[in-house]
Amino acid sequence: MKKAPFFVGYLPVPRDLRVFLWIICALLVVGAGAAGYAVGSTQDNPGDGAFRFDYGRQTVTGVIELTPLPLLHVTEGNDRIPAGRTLMMTAGGKAGVPDRAAPLEGQLATVSGVLLERGDLDMLQLRGGQGGLRAAEGDAPAVTPEPLGRWKLTGEICDGKCLAGAMRPGRGLAHKACANLCLTGGIPPVFVSTQPVEGAEYLMVTGPDGTAMPDAAYDRVGQFITVEAEITRHGDLLVMAIDPATMEVSD
Amino acid sequence: MSVKYIPVQWNPNKWYYDAALLAGVVLFLWVFIYLTPGALGHDRPINPQIHNARAFGACAFLMLTVILCIGPLARLDRRFLPLLYNRRHFGVLTCAVALTHAFYVLNWYFAFSATDKYAAVLEANTSYGQLAGFPFESLGIFALLCLLILAATSHDFWLKFLTPPVWKSLHYLIYPAYAAIVGHVALGALQDQQNLTFAWIVCVGAGLVAGLHVAAALKEQLAGDYEGGGGDWIDICATSAMTEGYAKIAQLPDGDRVAVYLNEGRLSALSNACAHQNGPLGEGKIINCLVTCPWHGFQYNVTNGRAPAPFTEKVPTYRVRVENGTVMVHRQANPPGTYVEPVPLPSAEGAV
Repeated sequence: MKKAPFFVGYLPVPRDLRVFLWIICALLVVGAGAAGYAVGSTQDNPGDGAFRFDYGRQTVTGVIELTPLPLLHVTEGNDRIPAGRTLMMTAGGKAGVPDRAAPLEGQLATVSGVLLERGDLDMLQLRGGQGGLRAAEGDAPAVTPEPLGRWKLTGEICDGKCLAGAMRPGRGLAHKACANLCLTGGIPPVFVSTQPVEGAEYLMVTGPDGTAMPDAAYDRVGQFITVEAEITRHGDLLVMAIDPATMEVSD
Repeated sequence: MSVKYIPVQWNPNKWYYDAALLAGVVLFLWVFIYLTPGALGHDRPINPQIHNARAFGACAFLMLTVILCIGPLARLDRRFLPLLYNRRHFGVLTCAVALTHAFYVLNWYFAFSATDKYAAVLEANTSYGQLAGFPFESLGIFALLCLLILAATSHDFWLKFLTPPVWKSLHYLIYPAYAAIVGHVALGALQDQQNLTFAWIVCVGAGLVAGLHVAAALKEQLAGDYEGGGGDWIDICATSAMTEGYAKIAQLPDGDRVAVYLNEGRLSALSNACAHQNGPLGEGKIINCLVTCPWHGFQYNVTNGRAPAPFTEKVPTYRVRVENGTVMVHRQANPPGTYVEPVPLPSAEGAV
């Protein structure tokens, strides 16, 4: 019976084995390169969301409204952010601005920062301190939300900042922990609806009766769900107050 | 073999092994990190931190897949045994690659928050009661801890300190670690992928690991260790089945395996488990009158089971006899290192 060549690590490789091992080495090295290309070159497109540093610093003035997360109804805008727009806001990193904005509820404020933009979704990341958010002189016009009734929507709850382009990609189940961390930090949650509501694909999420997004919803962040919600128009932004009891995982 | 503990007992084969290993890893990472962004053609690129985390994560998965394929491949085809020889370097490098993946993830997804990033990775997602949205990070942490333990205890010092059975049991952690990594990938990265290339690679890789293990087990089962009958003396094989310089392996009633060698026309029997890593001594070969383990080349005198001086490893020996053309071994093992007079093989001249 012919025995296979016997390899001993600290002795020279048997002649019969050398060619085989060279072939295996070559296959593994070339295979590694091919695998790197196969995996790396087939990643999904993260979309067009991004920090728009190319727009430069944006400074606008408007009325602060708490939903309870703060919105800015722009009264004095600029070329990028005209008057009449409603902005969601965030601080740097995984933090929102509810504590900074709360004292200015119903008042005029000037905000300054860099815009994040993904299609129709945008958000302003404010500078730190007074340079990012400060009270402005003048009378604040009243802000009156417009109820749009109860809707049943299918889509995904995301953290608005990563979704808008702070991370690419910035949504989905692989991003769930990051999204939860952002949301607990005070960044506005955003629902990406499969069907536009009054022309809007992105809706800010709150809990019922002016509360923050309920804890139960954190388990469903990043998942494809169906949920019922009272939708209200706040300026040009839709806010959905979800009913957590109606939340279901969608097929 | 080493008689004293030094970090690495280098020899040319280890240099070649590590060079090929590094070449493969560097090529994978270089292609993934530097070449593919251009090929993707996205208007706005994936964040470099995420891209790098994916590169190192995918690399670690594939490395571990290859590592786990080596064992069964070597059992199916002995020509793959050289890949087993320096596998611990493969494992340590895999741990380093996985650790790099973890650092990219930790310093991107869990940074920039008021919550400490190490706490955040455990606290941010606690939806353990559901499959979709399961905190797959915890599976990655478990696998990384396993890899760290295996890498930290990979040196022969720990093998000696823990004893081979304990060390070997500890290193079976590689299997739960791999299962956890498959779960980590399946419940994480694969959940959102529209392009299914990586999903296929993961499925094929995991399937290959499972398939090769089953195939190797089936092969060994079909080949079967000879299981001798009752009594104190166990039948091993016919004398005509012995091959000069090699062994026949049989399972004893107590479950241990014995390897009976034919060396210069005389029969000797040793435990089949190498004192180093419990490698299959009986699948080795006698070189210069020394049984040589096929895994790492540890050697033992065939008559007494002792490694040649200055080495100190010992394995149990067994008494051998030949009766009616059958090689037999006494079921009771001698203490490791016990000399047993070799038994002449009556038909040695007829052995192949």
